[in-house]
Amino acid sequence: MRHHRGLAGIALGTMALAAPFATAQEQPYSGVTLNVASMNDQFSGPLVVLAPSFEAETGIAVKVDILSYPELLTKITADFIGETGGYDVVTMDIVWAGQFAEAGHTVLLNDWIARDAEEIGVDDIYPVLMQALGNYEGAQVAFPFAGYANVLAYRPDLYEAAGIAPPQTMEELVAAARALTDREANRYGWVANGQRGPAVAQDWMQYNAQMGGSILDAEGMPALNSPENVASLTVYKTLFDETAPPGAVDYDWGGREESFRQGLVANMQTWSVGAAGYDNPDLSKVVGNNALMLAPPGAGMEPRYGIGGWGLAINADIDETRQAAAWEYIKWVTSPEVQKQMAELGGGGYIRMSTLADPDLNALYPFLPVIHESFLNGDGEYRPRIPEYPEIQDILGTAVNAVLAGDVDPQEALDAAQEQAMELF
Amino acid sequence: MTSVGLATPAGRRRTGAPFAAGTFGQRRRLFLLALGLPSLLYVIAVALVPLAQGMWLSLFEYNLLRPDRRAFVGLDNYLEQISDPVVQQALWNTLVFTVLAVGIEFLLGLGLALLLWRDSLFNRVALALMLVPVAVTPLVVGLVFRALLTADFGMIGHFAAQWGLSGERGFFGYPNSAMGALIFIDVWQWTPLMALILLAGLKALPQEAIEAADVAGASPWQKLRLVIVPMLLPAIFLALVLRTMDAFRIFDSVFVTTKGGPDNATNVLMFHAVKEGLEFFNIGDASALSNLMLAAIGLIAAGFVLVIRRADRRMLG
Amino acid sequence: MGGRAVPLPVLALQRGAILFALLVFLAPVGWLVTTAWKPAREIFSFPPTLSFTPTWDNFATVFRFFDVAQLSANSLIISGVGTLLSLALGIPCGYALARSGWRGAVGVAYFFLALRMVPPVATLIPFYLFMRDIGLLGTWWAVILLDTTLNTAFVVWMMFAWFRALPPEMEEAALVDGASQTGAFLRIAVPMVKPGTVACALLCFMLSWNSFLFPAFLTTADTKTLSVALLTAYGTKDITWGTMGALAHFSTLPIVLLALVLNRHFVQGLTRGFH
Repeated sequence: MRHHRGLAGIALGTMALAAPFATAQEQPYSGVTLNVASMNDQFSGPLVVLAPSFEAETGIAVKVDILSYPELLTKITADFIGETGGYDVVTMDIVWAGQFAEAGHTVLLNDWIARDAEEIGVDDIYPVLMQALGNYEGAQVAFPFAGYANVLAYRPDLYEAAGIAPPQTMEELVAAARALTDREANRYGWVANGQRGPAVAQDWMQYNAQMGGSILDAEGMPALNSPENVASLTVYKTLFDETAPPGAVDYDWGGREESFRQGLVANMQTWSVGAAGYDNPDLSKVVGNNALMLAPPGAGMEPRYGIGGWGLAINADIDETRQAAAWEYIKWVTSPEVQKQMAELGGGGYIRMSTLADPDLNALYPFLPVIHESFLNGDGEYRPRIPEYPEIQDILGTAVNAVLAGDVDPQEALDAAQEQAMELF
Repeated sequence: MTSVGLATPAGRRRTGAPFAAGTFGQRRRLFLLALGLPSLLYVIAVALVPLAQGMWLSLFEYNLLRPDRRAFVGLDNYLEQISDPVVQQALWNTLVFTVLAVGIEFLLGLGLALLLWRDSLFNRVALALMLVPVAVTPLVVGLVFRALLTADFGMIGHFAAQWGLSGERGFFGYPNSAMGALIFIDVWQWTPLMALILLAGLKALPQEAIEAADVAGASPWQKLRLVIVPMLLPAIFLALVLRTMDAFRIFDSVFVTTKGGPDNATNVLMFHAVKEGLEFFNIGDASALSNLMLAAIGLIAAGFVLVIRRADRRMLG
Repeated sequence: MGGRAVPLPVLALQRGAILFALLVFLAPVGWLVTTAWKPAREIFSFPPTLSFTPTWDNFATVFRFFDVAQLSANSLIISGVGTLLSLALGIPCGYALARSGWRGAVGVAYFFLALRMVPPVATLIPFYLFMRDIGLLGTWWAVILLDTTLNTAFVVWMMFAWFRALPPEMEEAALVDGASQTGAFLRIAVPMVKPGTVACALLCFMLSWNSFLFPAFLTTADTKTLSVALLTAYGTKDITWGTMGALAHFSTLPIVLLALVLNRHFVQGLTRGFH
């Protein structure tokens, strides 16, 4: 359903990009077929749609295998461990960087990026994305491909009716969420993921970072039960109890987004990627009654906007020709022209300043300046991208869910979580 | 060990080769060997290598993503798993789930099998349609029920919460009702399979025994209890063992609905093991855990055998 | 029950109960299938409602991004070949064990059963590497081989039980009358356990058909099955219900048809033999 916009633009897109004058001499990798493992996200449809244009230009065929999240992770890991070279290019979630870097399964891109810096236009790419979507302690394991910003999606109509101004701080957001909740009318002030596991862990980590909390201490060791974290989780619990739809304790991203599109909630912190959908009458019941704004920081804090998204990595087990062809492909899909095409097709992720400043795109998506502003002060580390991240996320996912859905005391839950997390180091 | 729940009078007859010795007996044995050996060789060839590797890996501290940190730890992984309170609770959750789900499936499945016993076009079509749930990928089944049961806008969950059938957070929002919902999903998907196996058993029953009961003027209940169920024991045993084995390894519906929550209320062993093995790639721990699960399922299966043998003996005096 | 006429009110009650059960079993699948015909906005609503504006869009998407014919063919081949192989291996073995009169037969049957109990977590990666080493990774055969292992174990065990329950006199008589051993097995014993065989075949087929983990791990984009493709709709942020619902059409229909066809053989198989 996310691909509707993509389907409409297919014919135009492919025709505009076809470059029929390319000759065999300019196509050193002609005949190569690249297998791309793509997460099923908004960009996957456009990747499929645009593949023929790339082939027309370079002679390199691209086969996009669209996979669900758990399938993607297990399949590419098996591919890496077995050194089977099944996939040439894989989409890499921002939080996998540490694991990928430590295991060394992907081609390090540092040299190629330096060599082709001018062609790529590295300066046009937001530094925070270059860092977050693929760089781990200096090793560039992936190239940024689709950057998302944590933003606040809200309902201006409800704010106006209640006579409240949109929130500038997290404290104001909490107050507004309370004021806008009307259980009798089935309207709720706020929503976030409550489901055990990655869903609740990620949403809380985001909120926690905005309130000045942190998962790791200055030495990079777990500090799950710091006073700041306990305080923020305590408020978070009351937010859930008082202002979220009751079912939210088991929402994951799908449920959370649906509740906003159904007009059930007034505020939701979310990834910028879904924003176009809120004004799509095929998807949404709040068309015209929604807006994006910068995610509010805690009072008196420097704004640090959460960064998420995907990079593209090259499998280290394939031969040099394929690696080079894969690099050509990555440069192509991240080029300004193709990034614009992707955006027009509904891709929803951005990495370039020129794309976010593009007048055509701004006419299509009025919220792009919010994403730009977020990227300028972005924080890709609120979910620590260390090799131990999956386990830490799991520990937190259980602890926070226990506080929200069970009646476990925040201090107690985070103390226990801290103890478990320390065992990983 | 020879009776294995084959308590039917038929099964009790001499099944051994009656041809004591001589060339025919030898040829018979050779023939049976030729029939039996291929599958034995096949499964040994295909399954035993990975299985042995799984056993071997369980003795290591080994994460596939950090291969350089691999170390031999002997039985430490096992001790660690057994003493982990999360694993202990997962075991308890798994047992509760298995007993309730399989129990309910058996009762409903037997009822359906009896209803569908008589051969008619209506029943044939009904059986075919009834098998649809079995044919849907369990992960998808979980997603569908999550969508239907979700509290605020789910087709069932919305009204259930409104009418007080569930708490306001919906079925998945509280420990007990979350477990209940998972049991319900399992019952929905696998009762038809239970019914199919039991129906196959019913269809194979010798007609005259049932007719004899009719002639003797037995009530339907007596007929069921005294004639049908005893003769159906092999099929019942089959169905129960198969479902128990699979229910004990429940994973899919948990993965897409509660992810083991709220807190640890629906955290089951297989979910825990898959997370360790295929998400964190802690292959040593995951192997130990799955070997422990194998042992537990084996114990349960052995328990079944004991129960059924006792039933055997009682029946035949 | 068996063959005698049932009084009309009882029959009506029975059919009512069956219809109710069918409603419970089919309604959730029905919901999934109808999502294919709904615009995304109407898949959920608040409060929920049954009405919707039909749309063809989801099918258009599915046919654009999925090679449905190839997916169906992969599913059919993997499940079909796997089932036939399992039956071909498992039925003779079950028979041999049941008729051997050997005390250890039960132990062997349990060995097969135990294979099926193994949680796949620990064995899947070794199996993946094993398939890589013999060059079958990514082919239908990788999945078929693994499915067949588990299904054979299941068939052996199930057929062992059915054959044990079957009195050996018929075959013995045939053998005395000069039938060959193969003849006694194929023409006398096998037909008598037809309901069990049909149930076995259906179960094997369905378990391969809906299995996710093995094909997800072992196939490539060209050999993946419908069950794996269905899960593609499980995205990072949203579940594309329409896609899943549209694909669900293709994944449930063949099973219903197969069950209907096999059901014709799912009749009183044994009684004839006894009279």
